[in-house]
Amino acid sequence: MDPQALIDTTYLAPLPAPLWFIQFFKVLGFVLHLVLMNLWYAGVPVAVGLWLSGRAHGRRWTTRLIAQMPLIIAFGVNFGIVPLLFIQVAYGKFFYPATILMAWTWFSVFVLLTFAYYGIYLFAHGLKTYGPNLPKRFAAAGWVSALIFVALGFVFANAMSLMSNVAAWPGLLQDHSVHGAALGTAMNLCDPSLWPRWLMLFGLALTTLSVWTVVDAAWFAGNESPEYRQWSCGFAWKTHTVGMLIFAAMGAWYVFGAWPEDVRNRMLHGPMIAHTLLTGAIPGVVWLLLAWGARASSSSVARTPPGRGWASTVFIAQVAVLAINAVTRQIVQNIELQRYSASLWKETATQWSPMALFLAVFVLGVGVVAWMVLQVVRAERASG
Amino acid sequence: MHYPWWYVPYLTSPMLIAAVSVLHVLVSHYAVGGGLFLAFETAYAYKRNDRDYLAYLKRHAKFFVLLTVVLGAITGVGIWWTIGLASPLATEVLIQTFVFGWATEWVFFVIELTAAFIFLYYWGRLPPQIHVRIGWLYAASAWISLVLITGITAFMLNPGKWLDQPDFWTGFLNPQFLPQTIARTGGALLLSSLYVYLHAAIVIKDQRLQRQIEQRSTRPALLGAVMIALGGLAWYFFLPESAIRALSAAAALNVLMGLLFAATIVVFAALFFGPYLNPGWLHSPGFAGCLLAFGFIAFSTGEFIREAVRKPYIVYNVVFGNGIFPEETSRLRREGYLQGGTWTAQYVRAKYPQVVVDGRIDDDRLRALDRNAQVDLGAVIFQYHCNDCHAPAVGYSAVGPLIQGWSSQMLADLVDELHVKRFTMPPFCGTEAERDLLVAYLQTIAPPPPHGMRLNGSSTR
Repeated sequence: MDPQALIDTTYLAPLPAPLWFIQFFKVLGFVLHLVLMNLWYAGVPVAVGLWLSGRAHGRRWTTRLIAQMPLIIAFGVNFGIVPLLFIQVAYGKFFYPATILMAWTWFSVFVLLTFAYYGIYLFAHGLKTYGPNLPKRFAAAGWVSALIFVALGFVFANAMSLMSNVAAWPGLLQDHSVHGAALGTAMNLCDPSLWPRWLMLFGLALTTLSVWTVVDAAWFAGNESPEYRQWSCGFAWKTHTVGMLIFAAMGAWYVFGAWPEDVRNRMLHGPMIAHTLLTGAIPGVVWLLLAWGARASSSSVARTPPGRGWASTVFIAQVAVLAINAVTRQIVQNIELQRYSASLWKETATQWSPMALFLAVFVLGVGVVAWMVLQVVRAERASG
Repeated sequence: MHYPWWYVPYLTSPMLIAAVSVLHVLVSHYAVGGGLFLAFETAYAYKRNDRDYLAYLKRHAKFFVLLTVVLGAITGVGIWWTIGLASPLATEVLIQTFVFGWATEWVFFVIELTAAFIFLYYWGRLPPQIHVRIGWLYAASAWISLVLITGITAFMLNPGKWLDQPDFWTGFLNPQFLPQTIARTGGALLLSSLYVYLHAAIVIKDQRLQRQIEQRSTRPALLGAVMIALGGLAWYFFLPESAIRALSAAAALNVLMGLLFAATIVVFAALFFGPYLNPGWLHSPGFAGCLLAFGFIAFSTGEFIREAVRKPYIVYNVVFGNGIFPEETSRLRREGYLQGGTWTAQYVRAKYPQVVVDGRIDDDRLRALDRNAQVDLGAVIFQYHCNDCHAPAVGYSAVGPLIQGWSSQMLADLVDELHVKRFTMPPFCGTEAERDLLVAYLQTIAPPPPHGMRLNGSSTR
């Protein structure tokens, strides 16, 4: 089979918005999703591990993080809708076949997510109700959720890598079909980029988790002891170090061992090399900030962790890390699909009034959400 | 055809859409109606300084958030997941047409989530006026979400003038939009009351409070019932003729319509004679549970019928259920279905290169294949052309039992004029040679007559 011929060109609707607009919202939505998704992807496994370790501060962090997790998941899933929507607008010709080839696994995502989400509610309920005497069934719910989240990361890595690995489609269809119809049992396991992509994101997620640890300690942990806040700085720095090492190792494997030659040529030469280097190096900035915080909080003179300004700076820097990573992913995806997408996206028929409605509602929505958050801040202040 | 077909044994992949959708609507309508209930009743309770009622409403809000924010939200995403897998072409058309409708709905979804969490977690910590305002923000955004999604799903049943003027607003403001919005709003009001009855019957022991809850939630339920009736009538009035005919022509739909009417009447009557005339009946969780179960039956049946009457289309007059555009029919009949399908063409070229002449699949070469190869290719056509509605030998609407005893000529005649003999079926989109391949396959899945039937006096088959 000719992979190129598997890209349907018999129906090519004009894009409802310019390609840059679609890609902008795809990336923006992905960044928002990434911030929160990282917290459950790495956060839940780390939280159940810390609980198992039995150390007091670790258990405090578990309790705090898992109490926040229902909100994190709700908004993280919600923000994931944006890239999912815009990926189908411009990249449907790749997205649909890839997900259909692995349909059962892809279908299982929202079923598993439901179990993991309720598992988190159970775990949080158990921690709130029983504290240190958490019954095993609640801890088990946490473990099941953690395993599911890691597995879901693997499924997503499969789907997104298969989307770009058009050359593998014919073989997967032949091996996983009945009378030419997909059985939906294929996985992109032979793609060299799958494993580093999956693990690289886990490393990145650990770094985001570490940043959230200090943000939580600085902004929301007013009732916690100074020792806990001090611990959080050290823990964040160690977690970030581990995350960054995984990210660096897997990133190197991904770039030098898994990128197709055309991607490597484009990303490692000419003007793109600066961007590639920035993507690889910028987590180091966050690491330095965290190292400074950890050192300050453990210093024999001060022994007080840096304040909210520092935590906010670290957070903004981490969002920048994720944003640059997301942009790089988009660039790489465009290069990977370039040879197949030449016939696509030739026409644009911008839907001006619906687009204006969306943008107006978007601005209004930001305002409404800001107003609601302001009421919360006032209520928090009023209650001391 | 444009995309690989996902074969789901026994069930057919589009049935997964039905399963996920039904589960979703049972929760999502509550997410809308329950939001209105909580906003309205919280304002009422604050005004009267009714602490018992406020305490109940907080309890209900917890249950509400736990159900709607998790199951409601994730099954909503699940529908997207499933339609992309089972009907990619229709999904693509809908997304290209309504991307900004969905994007706008997403903004309201963010407001909903934020408001829902603040409404619950800051209960008692916000000034009452602000708390109620946030409740109304939730209710309004949830209802607008319903309106936006209804515009798109209503389009699937009757796109109206969109075919002549294919723009967003013509498609969104289709003939089915208003009827379905009215019916769904009514459904949200009614269903949320049924949830409230059951929840209150389980958690409230104080009879005065329980009676108050029943009385308060019966009025929106009755209003919802009236809206469902009005919206339902208008829905019927604005159905395309084929959908009206399908309702009376298909035996299964007759039965489902009967079930829908029966369950709806039971719910309306139980509401009127129960909580409205005899408050107190709902003290029993059994009665409240039965009422909610009847509501679920009516809702699920209604959704199933709404999906089924579109046949043979998935988007009326725009995309056939089997993922073919009506305007592609003539070309495919002329040039061949296997050749015209992006994925079928590649499959045939790889597996049967001997049938390809000058880069095209040749009918004479197809006829020259051995029987096994012909049956295999017939099965390919069946998978891509028919499996969206029919399992092969066993399963949902299986073809095998339907054609038991048919000769190859009868089958060929049927396939030739599929859409003429059954207007709920799409036309066969292949050449004569491909029709013969399909017939060859169909003969292999038709079961033999059942044994043990006494016919003509003595013998069995």
